[in-house]
Amino acid sequence: MPRRRTQTLQLLMALGLALFPFFAGDYWLHTGIICLFYIMMASSWNLLAGYTGQVSFAHAAFAGVGAYVSGLAAIHFHLPPLLGALLGMAVAAFLGLLLGVLCIRMGGIYLSLTTLAFSEMLRIIIDNEYEFTRGTMGLSVPFILPVYSKTTAYFLMGAVTVAVLCVIRSIVRSDLGTAFRAVQNDETAAASLGIHVVKVRLAAFVISSTMAGLAGALYGHYHQLITPEILSLNLMFFVLAIAVIGGMGTFVGPIVGAIFLEFLSEYIRIYGQFHVLLFGLIALAVCRFAPQGLMGLWQRRMRALSS
Amino acid sequence: MQDLLLYCTNGLLLGVIYALSALGVSLIVGIMNVINFSHGELYVLAGYFSALFARALGLPVLAGAGLAVAVVFLFGLLVERTLIRNTYGNDMASLIITFVLSIVLQNAYLLIFGPYPQKPPNWVDGSTRLFGLFYYGNQRLAALGAGAVVIAVLFLVVKKTWFGKTVRAVAQDREMAAMVGVNPDGVNMLSFALGCALAAAAGVILAPIFPVTPTVSVGVSLTAFIVVVLGGMGSLGGCVIGGLILGLVQNLGSAYVSSGYKHFFGFFILLLVLTVRPTGLFGRKQL
Amino acid sequence: MVWKKVVTVPVILGLCLAGFLPAHAAETIKIGVVGPRTGPAAATGAAFEEGIALALDVINGEQGGVLGKKVEVVFEDTGGTPEKAASGFEKLITKDQVVVTVGESHSSCALAEVPIADRYKHPLIIAEAWADEITAKNSRYVFRAGPCNSGVVKDNLLGFVKDYGFKRVAIVAENTDWGLGIKKLAEDGLKAMGVEFMTVETERQSQDHYTELNKIAAFQPDLVLAFIYGFGVHYFIAQANETGLFPKKALILEGAGPPSLWPEFWQNVGDAGNLELFLSRMHSKVDFNPVSKKFREAYTKKFGKEPTDYKSRSVYDVLLIAADALRRAGSTDSEKVVDALEKTNLEVGSGVVQFGLEKGDYRYHQWQPPMLIVQWQNKEQVVVYPMSVKTGELKK
Repeated sequence: MPRRRTQTLQLLMALGLALFPFFAGDYWLHTGIICLFYIMMASSWNLLAGYTGQVSFAHAAFAGVGAYVSGLAAIHFHLPPLLGALLGMAVAAFLGLLLGVLCIRMGGIYLSLTTLAFSEMLRIIIDNEYEFTRGTMGLSVPFILPVYSKTTAYFLMGAVTVAVLCVIRSIVRSDLGTAFRAVQNDETAAASLGIHVVKVRLAAFVISSTMAGLAGALYGHYHQLITPEILSLNLMFFVLAIAVIGGMGTFVGPIVGAIFLEFLSEYIRIYGQFHVLLFGLIALAVCRFAPQGLMGLWQRRMRALSS
Repeated sequence: MQDLLLYCTNGLLLGVIYALSALGVSLIVGIMNVINFSHGELYVLAGYFSALFARALGLPVLAGAGLAVAVVFLFGLLVERTLIRNTYGNDMASLIITFVLSIVLQNAYLLIFGPYPQKPPNWVDGSTRLFGLFYYGNQRLAALGAGAVVIAVLFLVVKKTWFGKTVRAVAQDREMAAMVGVNPDGVNMLSFALGCALAAAAGVILAPIFPVTPTVSVGVSLTAFIVVVLGGMGSLGGCVIGGLILGLVQNLGSAYVSSGYKHFFGFFILLLVLTVRPTGLFGRKQL
Repeated sequence: MVWKKVVTVPVILGLCLAGFLPAHAAETIKIGVVGPRTGPAAATGAAFEEGIALALDVINGEQGGVLGKKVEVVFEDTGGTPEKAASGFEKLITKDQVVVTVGESHSSCALAEVPIADRYKHPLIIAEAWADEITAKNSRYVFRAGPCNSGVVKDNLLGFVKDYGFKRVAIVAENTDWGLGIKKLAEDGLKAMGVEFMTVETERQSQDHYTELNKIAAFQPDLVLAFIYGFGVHYFIAQANETGLFPKKALILEGAGPPSLWPEFWQNVGDAGNLELFLSRMHSKVDFNPVSKKFREAYTKKFGKEPTDYKSRSVYDVLLIAADALRRAGSTDSEKVVDALEKTNLEVGSGVVQFGLEKGDYRYHQWQPPMLIVQWQNKEQVVVYPMSVKTGELKK
């Protein structure tokens, strides 16, 4: 695509997103905010899974860490939610580092299983320490800003999402991003090029977990209710499906996937419980027939058109 | 003392059951290097079928159970052919695809069977007084026996028969096995289906005690992963020991530490094993 | 190529925008219902659906609608989880634009809904979430025309223990808002009465209760109070029978009601269910008043069977209360509806509803219906408490 058209398109999209709250109404604004959360989650998971090939099942758990740390700090120590979100992010980063050091060396299936165990352990602790966390009943936390307003929350979430995406984009384009892809494609070759495989993987894991922590903290304070559901495999599935359907290993894929799935789920809400089944079937079909996702299909089409 | 004996009995019984339900995962990971995330869903599917055959079709309960295992075996062949075969050599692709499959199946069960538990009739009723100390459900004892038999038969098949030798050859060296005329695709398909049938066997044996719902599958899969890692990926013997250890630890832990943390202990062990000795207690594969 | 884009882009944008526009000029009055249609307590959702159908027959039929319009019910699933309940409730208010919401069967969900009702100033009438805290929050917009933990424990459970002379009571409770809340109240009550007791906590979804049962058996109780809402209580009863505790040594009183009436009860417990006791708001031989009789007849006519799960009538009752308040308010304005609700004096299936108006504790905006304790005797329901309405003797 010519550069100017890309720029015009970006400008139009930015304008559309900025004006969105003024014509959308409460309900669609809410959908938009949730969508921003999923964009952050799926993009940061994609940074790890799509670029370095490490499938972590603890991404939702790190979002839960961010949400619970921030929420508990707000309730027990009256920390303002915005500071709490930073604290939640820091704790998620720290836990990510610990877990990463433990399991990143083995990589592959072992990393997947360890992260799965970590996420279940966390969920069990939160369920059981109900005197502190309120368990399955959920923790009621203050709104992200002193005054309740969906529009402001939208702009705040939007700004953070843009910041997260910018960081991801600059990482992907930097030397570190090149190292990520080298590690995924061929570990031995990457090592022989002087890339420290374990360090590179660890960096990806910690960055991705930190972003999940931030996203989770904002999400919790927006909802004003945090439940162990945020750590569940259901949320993990949603994040994974978004990345897979959008296209793993591409920058735009998770964004497209998040918008597609969130708005699709609102249109098919009348079918209630079965929308997860539909997502699953779409994801399964994409896995099997278009492993590069929607973005892969699009790129293939563009290439076919230009040739 | 009496308490300890009860908890140990319960732990050993659940241990055999855990081993049984983990064998399928272990077999598949050992031969194909694929972690089957939809393992628990196949267990649940067999539970549903055995309840359906026994209650709706009026088959004798054991015949219904056998038929259910056969149906799941066929389903396993189908899954391998349509979804898994393309992913060989790419661990992550098979992991993602079986994870998505597990969510699809859970929600399909919800649509077809509803959220309510389904329970095949008990094979035996009543309970027996053990050691003159406490009563124990007869169905649980029957499950213990059936589980032990399935495990013994599997070991015989893998160690003694032609099929077992072929499978072990493929697991150890694919290229070599292909050179001496073994068809690896066929072996893979058969082993995957056999792994599914083992999940099904666990399902039909346990469904009368723990009725199946669409979501119990998650717990079954997670337990199976713990057992497999604990025993060492791909080691069938390790799988049995791993199951027994998990059963004991869970029961003693929930009795003497906290019943709310029952499932925590398993994951804690998993994390510990992975960090201290990633190949498990009896690991034979260096992954 | 360019032309194709010129056409497709506006079409897609148009489709997206169409979704944003709120529905205008409602021809019906919408009432929201929240309850679990999926998840472990989905049977309650099914009972709610029956109650809704019967209530709509009455409201739109013989009562001729509300404020000159027909009433339409939008039933939102909570899945029994607070997060889903909160977002579903918010959707009912902002997207479906319901004027009042009723229902709910999980305390944790109801507690998540109370702040939302406050934020949108939206009237919410709880039917079957029992935690005291729901009304103890003293929200102007939240009412409960159904049992609360304190009422159930004081009016029924403690009286039952006392009047039948039980000496040692074991309590098993699920670790949720409702379970832990009612457990605490029962403990305090038993302590005040001087009855020996012990407590075990368990997981709602747990399928294996041998460890808990062993602890209970060691205490040698003559009554077990089981506060588990869901299928867990079926497994508990079946295993209590296997281990020889029930009914040989102790009776089990299930404190949540409907799980003992769900269609899967006998499949899951088998013959072990005989002599089990449970709490209920309804019994086929006990008609509280003309409305409950009418409900039973309409139910039998419409569904061709006797009503079993009493929660169908609970939601029927709250819908009648909502329609009555809307009529008396003469508008759908929530402040006027709340004022009308506070003046409610209406006979429904469970009795004559009048909400408590004194602020301070759980009695505010609360109306406690009379409850029954029923025993399964050879698959027949026998009311054994309160003594004044019992239809048979307690069997041990």
